[in-house]
Amino acid sequence: MNIHTYEKTWLAVSMVLIVGFIATVTYGAVGPGIAMIDDDGGSIDPDTINDDERFNDPGVTHVGENEYEAAVVAQAWTYTPSEITVPANSTVTFYVTSRDVTHSFTVAGTNVNTMVVPGQISEMTVEFDEPGEYGILCNEYCGAYHHTMEGKLNVVPQDEFDLTELSTDASDEAQLGNQTTINTTVSNDMNYDLETTATLEIGDQQSLEQDVTVPAHGSETVEFAVDTTDLGTGDHDWTVTVDGHEESDTLTVTNATEGGDGDA
Amino acid sequence: MAMRNAYIDQFPKEARVIRAILWSSFLALTIGGTLGLIQGLHRTNVLRFIPSQDYYTVLTAHGVLLVITFTIFFLVGIFTWAVTTSLDRGVKDIRFTWGWYAIMMIGTLLVGVSILGGVVDQIPMNADVLYTFYSPFQAHPAFYVGFVLFVVGTWLAGFDWFRTWWAWKKDNPDERIPLPTFMALTTMLFWYLSSIGVAISILAFLLPWSLGIIDSVNPLLTRTLFWFFGHPVVYFWLMPAYMLWYTMLPKLSGGKLFSDPLARVVFVLFLILSTPVGIHHQYLDPGIAEGFKFIAMTNTMFLLLPSLLTAFTVVASMEHGARQRGGKGYLSWLKALPWRDPAFTGMALAGLMFAAGGFSGMINAGLSINYLVHNSWWVVGHFHLTVGTAAALTFMAASYWFIPQLTGKEIWNRSLGLVQVVLWFIGMTFMSNAMHRAGLFGMPRRTAEPQYQGFDFEPAVGTVAEIDAQVALGAALLTLSVYLFITNMVLTTIGGSTSDAIPDNTYAGTLSGPEDAPVIIDNLKLWTSIAVVLVIIAYSLPLASIIDAGGLFGPGIDPWKPSVVADPSLVLESVRGVMP
Ligand code: HEM
Ligand SMILES: [Cu+2]
Ligand SMILES: [Cu+2]
Repeated sequence: MNIHTYEKTWLAVSMVLIVGFIATVTYGAVGPGIAMIDDDGGSIDPDTINDDERFNDPGVTHVGENEYEAAVVAQAWTYTPSEITVPANSTVTFYVTSRDVTHSFTVAGTNVNTMVVPGQISEMTVEFDEPGEYGILCNEYCGAYHHTMEGKLNVVPQDEFDLTELSTDASDEAQLGNQTTINTTVSNDMNYDLETTATLEIGDQQSLEQDVTVPAHGSETVEFAVDTTDLGTGDHDWTVTVDGHEESDTLTVTNATEGGDGDA
Repeated sequence: MAMRNAYIDQFPKEARVIRAILWSSFLALTIGGTLGLIQGLHRTNVLRFIPSQDYYTVLTAHGVLLVITFTIFFLVGIFTWAVTTSLDRGVKDIRFTWGWYAIMMIGTLLVGVSILGGVVDQIPMNADVLYTFYSPFQAHPAFYVGFVLFVVGTWLAGFDWFRTWWAWKKDNPDERIPLPTFMALTTMLFWYLSSIGVAISILAFLLPWSLGIIDSVNPLLTRTLFWFFGHPVVYFWLMPAYMLWYTMLPKLSGGKLFSDPLARVVFVLFLILSTPVGIHHQYLDPGIAEGFKFIAMTNTMFLLLPSLLTAFTVVASMEHGARQRGGKGYLSWLKALPWRDPAFTGMALAGLMFAAGGFSGMINAGLSINYLVHNSWWVVGHFHLTVGTAAALTFMAASYWFIPQLTGKEIWNRSLGLVQVVLWFIGMTFMSNAMHRAGLFGMPRRTAEPQYQGFDFEPAVGTVAEIDAQVALGAALLTLSVYLFITNMVLTTIGGSTSDAIPDNTYAGTLSGPEDAPVIIDNLKLWTSIAVVLVIIAYSLPLASIIDAGGLFGPGIDPWKPSVVADPSLVLESVRGVMP
């Protein structure tokens, strides 16, 4: 074959360029050990998401020293949870799956970006060094309101981070003279026990304290017994505080003679 | 006075079909371009006159009309010209040619009507699935049937050209395949190979599923089959442009093609490498092992080679042309080129933009850098340079040469043609550059309102408002350019008078001809076999593991019909319902 010298030179330069590209990208990917999205996440039947250990209560879990896992369920047109908070200087492995159509899980302006295909679990590990706030968005068309699908990722300083959550079960009303209880369930998703004190402030007078130890990845219920005689009739605001987290509500104490609907 | 020898004089029957085909193509371009303007104005919030839910109907139509209808109709028209002209014989049976054109038209109409159903209540259909139709989105069966018919039409068109070539070969047993025919045939071979992917995806899964015959599909499988076809289709759009750069551009610049053998090598490389790369569209997909993505990336990088070679030959041929016209100097020969000719200038500008598109394409192809730009507006900026300019502008520019060939009439206004191609270049510079920049800070593609409640984008340079303004301005200039083009074409066809001054129907000669290429280059069977082997290597394991993990029909995936539009606040309620 008759090839002009210019052509030969150009051909050689082109080949060097191409091999150079492949080498650079391969080094760039394999060298620093960037984890790619691949088949490690496995597959899942979307109908079983609610029964799945990882996805039945999606959110962030502590799994090791500075290591966390975040399970996220995408569905038209929202992420659960829609706001994710993780500490700085941590390594977070995301597991994302879809309940319906294909979505993406994309942290805007970063390379945290994956397709979320129904039937599959996307797994990706990300290192967060600095605190910051990021938007999460879906960049794959997922139906008529695709453009409304968004979330939030907060990377907070380590000392502001915990995985403690409170939920309270208390009645709104009580009859004067009766006792009523305010039950607060403290859950702890770190992988060590949480030793802390729960405090209840109610009305102007009462302040109760209880020590509580919440096991790793477990929960514990604290029961505050409130004596309504001390409070007197009327509305009493209360607040339960555990480890910087608060839950508040109001207790209405009624007179025993006042109607029959106050026997809750 | 010498006899006129334009295409219409040589092949009047073929000229009629090609005219019909090109008109279908131009109509798709005009509608598609208008929809592009609606999108550009809507996304940037410059002007919103449709509800955002309908944006996706518009976007589906824009994608399908431009990258399927406009480009492929143009391709089949121009390849029919290329084969008949270079073999110097008509098609075997013109009724067969009309036949495949009719099938492609019926396919287009079915697809078009089902998409239109997304905004017209009287049409009980919906196909708001975008041109990628990822399951479990489920379109109306007519959409899938139409798509298949369109592709079958192209298969028959290929057969038409092959049998014209076979007949020619009988009469010319010792001759080399003429270059334009060689290009058309190699292109068709990888098209046959790759469109098997979409054919299986639709015929085995999506169509029976939309008819209720099967009740689940495997979304990752149909998606992978789509991209098996989806990347080669990119080269399907590009090959007619390459053919025009090789066979017309040197002639328009007043010279000859630098090297016929190298042009053949380029097309053989496309035949071999076009298909085993589709997984580069799935770098971010779960369920596909990293190794397979690496194979796709390596093949993709090698695909740069034929394009780099093309850049060389095209520039060298243009330089040769310029020197024939008296051009001198190191770079000042550029001034000797026929810049007043819209056909030349349009193609040259298209080639220039393709170089820029090639650069952003290299970024896309990088497995790790892709994470930053995947599905962002960067990608949309990229392919408006490649298919949206390298192909589209070349096609428009070439029409200033072809329409006189096909009608026997002079272009109504050549200066307006020049304005038109330059306007496209300017409009695309604004739109595409701004889209690339927007992608870098994460602005997503395919999104009616990329303005979010909980956060703002943070451009490293400039502002979101300034970028939006450039997109809107660019979109307006581009649409104006489309309208100038179609006006010129319509007035040429219905207004213009027949002229004897139409140049002869020829294509570029070569400096180094086919005799310089080893005969093995023309061995289409050999190259096709290699292409098949590469496809098997690249795809058999990934497909097997996808089927192994998710089953042929998926783990019970419910269809999602986009027509069932709910209010997002109601959906939030229902989410609370399904979450434990
Ligand atoms: C008047 C000229 C054009 C304008 C104003 C225009 C505008 C746009 C805009 C704004 C988008 C982005 C939509 C989004 O991401 O939400 C888009 C998408 C697209 N355009 Fe164009 N465009 C034009 C011409 C073309 C041409 C000539 C082609 C191809 C031959 C093309 C192919 C596409 C494709 C394939 C998409 C992506 C569709 C999808 O994401 O499903 N466009 N166009
Ligand atoms: Cu979405
Ligand atoms: Cu591609």
